[in-house]
Amino acid sequence: MLKKTLLSAALALATLTGVQAAQISEDVIQNSFYPYKTGTPSFPGLNAGMTINQANVDQFKDALDPAMYTFIKNGATQMKVGATTSFDLHPSYVESTRKYSSNVSLGANSGEVSPTVAGRPFPQEPSMDDPRAGEKLAWNYKYGYNWGDSAAIYPFYWKYRNMESAKVERTIKMNFHFLNFTHRTSQAPYPAITPNPSNLFRAIYVQVLEPFDVKNTQLLIQRFEDDTKVDNAYLYLGFQRRVRRLSSGQTTDAFLGSDVMIEDFEGYNGRISDMKWSYKGTKNMLVPMYNHNEMPLDPKTHSDKDGYQVIAFGGQGGCFPDITWQLRKVYVVESQPVDQNHPISKREHYIDAQTFIIPRNITYDRKGDMWKSWTIGQSHPDYHLPINKGTGVSIDDSFSMIDIQAQHCTTGQFKGIVAPDLNPVDKFNVQNMRASGS
Amino acid sequence: MSKKITTTFTHLTVGIAATIGTGMVATSVVAAETEWAGFIENATYYREDVGLSKFRNTGQAEFETKFESDTFRSLKLNGTFRATYDGVYDLNDDEFGKNSGHAYLGENWHGRDTSTAVLTPGVPFPCDNDPTLCNNLNGYMDHKESDAKTPDFNDQLDFIRELYVSADKQLSNGDVLNIRLGKQQVIWGKTDLFRVLDVINPVDYSRHNIYDELEDIRIPQWMLTAEWRMGPNSVLDDSNLSMVWNFDKFRPNNLGTCGQSYRIIDAGCFFSSSANLQLIPGGPYSQPVPIIHDVEDHDWSLANTQLGLKWEGVYGDATFSVNALTYRQQLPSLHFRPIAPGAPVPAADGVFDIKFPRVNLLGGSIDYYSMGMDAVWRLEMAYTQGEEQPRDTDGHKETDMLRYVIGFDKNIILPELGTRSAFLLSTQLFGEHILDHERDMPNEADNWIGTLLFKGWYMNNRLSPQIIIAHDVGADATVYAPSVSWSPDNNWMFNVGVNIKSGGKKEFPWGVASAFGDSSPQTEPLARFTNGPIGVAHQEDEVQLSVRYSF
Repeated sequence: MLKKTLLSAALALATLTGVQAAQISEDVIQNSFYPYKTGTPSFPGLNAGMTINQANVDQFKDALDPAMYTFIKNGATQMKVGATTSFDLHPSYVESTRKYSSNVSLGANSGEVSPTVAGRPFPQEPSMDDPRAGEKLAWNYKYGYNWGDSAAIYPFYWKYRNMESAKVERTIKMNFHFLNFTHRTSQAPYPAITPNPSNLFRAIYVQVLEPFDVKNTQLLIQRFEDDTKVDNAYLYLGFQRRVRRLSSGQTTDAFLGSDVMIEDFEGYNGRISDMKWSYKGTKNMLVPMYNHNEMPLDPKTHSDKDGYQVIAFGGQGGCFPDITWQLRKVYVVESQPVDQNHPISKREHYIDAQTFIIPRNITYDRKGDMWKSWTIGQSHPDYHLPINKGTGVSIDDSFSMIDIQAQHCTTGQFKGIVAPDLNPVDKFNVQNMRASGS
Repeated sequence: MSKKITTTFTHLTVGIAATIGTGMVATSVVAAETEWAGFIENATYYREDVGLSKFRNTGQAEFETKFESDTFRSLKLNGTFRATYDGVYDLNDDEFGKNSGHAYLGENWHGRDTSTAVLTPGVPFPCDNDPTLCNNLNGYMDHKESDAKTPDFNDQLDFIRELYVSADKQLSNGDVLNIRLGKQQVIWGKTDLFRVLDVINPVDYSRHNIYDELEDIRIPQWMLTAEWRMGPNSVLDDSNLSMVWNFDKFRPNNLGTCGQSYRIIDAGCFFSSSANLQLIPGGPYSQPVPIIHDVEDHDWSLANTQLGLKWEGVYGDATFSVNALTYRQQLPSLHFRPIAPGAPVPAADGVFDIKFPRVNLLGGSIDYYSMGMDAVWRLEMAYTQGEEQPRDTDGHKETDMLRYVIGFDKNIILPELGTRSAFLLSTQLFGEHILDHERDMPNEADNWIGTLLFKGWYMNNRLSPQIIIAHDVGADATVYAPSVSWSPDNNWMFNVGVNIKSGGKKEFPWGVASAFGDSSPQTEPLARFTNGPIGVAHQEDEVQLSVRYSF
C-alpha cells in the first residue's frame, strides 16, 4: 500500500509540475520509433511480391520463426511477402516518451518500475549484456501504444477449426473493448482518467453476442498500475445473470473453449511479474503486418453497410490468415512462468521493434515441446477503416492460434475501430456487466 | 447465428421518456435493427418405477431492438417469449395428470403410518376433479391439467417471459441514470440452487423442483427499476444505488399442483387433501375436513406492491451490496382456523387458511478475491422480519429469520484428468437460523445445506461433464446429479444426466396423530419440512436427456 501511495504521489507530482529529468536523446527516439527512416531491412533472395512455399522455404529459414518455417516446410501454408512499411505510432506517444522516459528505471524485483507517466519507458536499444533487458522490453509492451488509449473490436469473430478436417466447429461473435486509465496520450483526458481509486492501468471488456448458449457471457479484466497486484477479473454468465469473480487460474484456461488463454490476448495479457523475461536477440524476420484494404477479404463472415469486410483465411484447415508478411526488425524475448504449476514452460515472443506489438508467439508445453503458434496480423491504420486513419494504432486485424499437438486452431477476424465513444469509462465496471447482461 | 431484422419503421415517436417518469420530453427516435435468437428443446426424463416423468417441449425466442435517440444514450426494447408443452400428462397418464391418484397422501415418498389414515390422498388437479377444493384453493393451487401441459399460457400471460423498455440517461456530472420498465427478472444475490437475496421474483418449482436454472423458473413480474450509476469515487471503484418497485399483482411460488410430476415437498397434494376428522369418536365432524379453507388473495393495491433498495460497489478486491426489501412471503403460511375462538379443534369447512405475510428483508453480500488462495469467497446474508414458520400446535408462528451462504470458487488445472482446461470447483454452504424457534417446529433452529459443483471441459468446451452434489444436513438427504453435455456445433446441444437422491426418512411427532392413539413420530404432514425438497423427492431418481437446437 505504501508503495502504491508513493507511486501515486510521484505520478501526480510529475503530472502537475512537469518535473522531469533531461530529455531523452533524439537519436534514441528516432531509432526506436522510426527504424525504417533510412532504409528497410533486406534478406538475400527475398523480394516483395514473392511467395515462400515448400520449394524455397529453406532459403528463408533464418527470416522465419521456427513454427512458421515448419508449417511452410510441411505444406500447411504459404507465405506471401509484402513490402516493409513504417507503422508510425501516434506523435503524442512519441512525444510522451521524450517527455517522461528519460529517468525510468526498474525496481529491485520483477514487476517493479519507477513511476512512469506515459510513453515507451525504455526506448533505448536492448543490450545482451543487460540481464534485465527482457524485462525492460516487457515493460515497453505493457505500456505500449497497442490499441492506443481506447479502441474496440466491434465485432470480433472467433472460429474453432479442426485442422485436419477443416471443419468449423464453432463460431463465436464478440465485441472487445480496451481502455487505458493511465498512460494516456492521444484521447483526453491526459495522462489519466480520474477518479481511479484502485489505480487501474487498463481494462479489457468482452461481450459475447453469439451463439445462443454463450450469448451475454461477459468478461472484464482490470489491470493495476501496480504490477505486483493480481488483476481483477470478472465473468458474467448469461444464464445465471450474475457477475462472478474469477480466480487467476482461469486466465490460463481455454477462453470459451478456444485455443486461446486469456493470458494469450494481444500476444501476452498478464503481469510482468508473472514471468521471468529473457532477451534473446534482435533479428530481421517476416511478421504478419500489412495493409488490410489490399488483402483478400471474407464477405461471408462479415460484410456490413459501410462495406467493411474481414480478413480471409486459408491454408491447412483454414488456420492461416490470407495476408502478406513483412521483413521487420523484431526483438526475440522469452518468458518463463514464475508459477511452477503454470500450464506452459515458456513462450517465445517476437516483438515488433517499432510498435512493440507481439505479432508472433510460440508456446511450449510443460514438457518443453512446441505446443501453440500465435499469429496476430497487424494492419496499417491508414489502410483500414477511414476512422482509423491517422490514429497511429497498429490495428490487430486477424489472429490464429494453432494447437500444433491437437491439430486444432482458433482463428480471429476483426473489425477494429479506434473511437473513444465506443469505450466510455462506465463500460469497464462491474455494474455495466449486470446492466448489459439482460 | 441470431437473425437480424432491420425494421422498416422510419422515425417513431415513442413516448417512453414521459412514461418512465424521468420528466424528460420524448424525442424522435429511430428503430435500429432487431436481433432475434432462441431455441427449441425437448427434455425427456425417465423416473425409476414410474416411467416417463417429463416430456417437455419448449420453444423460446428473444429479441432486442435498439433505438437511436437524442435524449438517451441507450434506449432499447427487450422481449423473451416461451411456449411449453409437456407431453407427460398424455404419455404417462397413469402416473401424472387429472386421472392419476395415490393410495394415500405421500405415497411417492414414504410408507404408511397412522397419519395416512388421518389424511386423505391429495386430489390431482382439483379444478378438474373437485370443485370444492378448487374453490378453496382459490387461484393459487387450483390448476387444471391443461395448466400443467402448457404452463406458459394462462391469465397472467406467462408466455411473455420478459418484455421491457430500458433507457440510459447520462447526467451532467457524468453519472448514468437507468430506467427499466416492464415484465422482467431482477436478480439479487450470488448463489446457485438456493436463494438468499434473490427473492424479488417468485419461482415456479413445478418445472423441475430446485434443479432447473433459476433463469428458467423465476416468474417474471411487471416492475420498474431505477439505477443511479455513480461509477468510481475517491474510495470506491464503482458505486450504484438501485431501486426496484414490483407493482405487479402479488404471486407466490408455484409449488406444483397434485398430479404434476414435480411438487416441491409434495405440498400441492397436502393442500388438496382432507383430514378424516369424522373418524374421531364423538367428534363434531360428519365428513372429512378440507386441509385448506381459503387462500388469502391480495388484490392489487399500492399497499400490496413490493419495494427494494440496493447499494452496491467495488472496494479493492471486494464487491459488495447492501440490500433492503419489503415484500410478501412467497411460500404459503398455514393459519389454523379453530371451530370456535380458542378451541383446539379445526373448523368443519377447512383446517387452515393460506396467507402470505408481509416481510421486511435487510441483507448484503460480498465477493472477495483472495490472492493467497487464488480463489474467490462469496458471502451473502439476509435477515428477515415477518416470516412465518410452520409448527405443530398452531399452524404457524411469526419469527425473524437469518439466512446466509458462504461460497468458495476455484479453478484448478488437473492434467491427470486428460484435459488442459481448468476444472471449476464451486462449493457453497447455506445456513438458516430461526430466531424464535419453538420445539414444535418441524424445521430445526439451525440447518445447513452444502453444495458442490465440479465441472470440466473437453474438446474445446464442446464436451462438458459435471457433477452436482447437495446435502441437507437436517434432513440427512443427499442428491447426486452427474451429467454430460455435448455441443457438436453452434446449433445443437445434447445433455444426458442422472439425478439420484437419498434420505427422506425423517419423521416428526405430529400432534394430530395422537388424537388417533398414536404418539410415535409421523410422516405427515410436517415431516415434509423436516425432509426438505431433496428428502421428500428421494423416490424421484431419474435419467434425463435434453436436446436443444438454438438459432
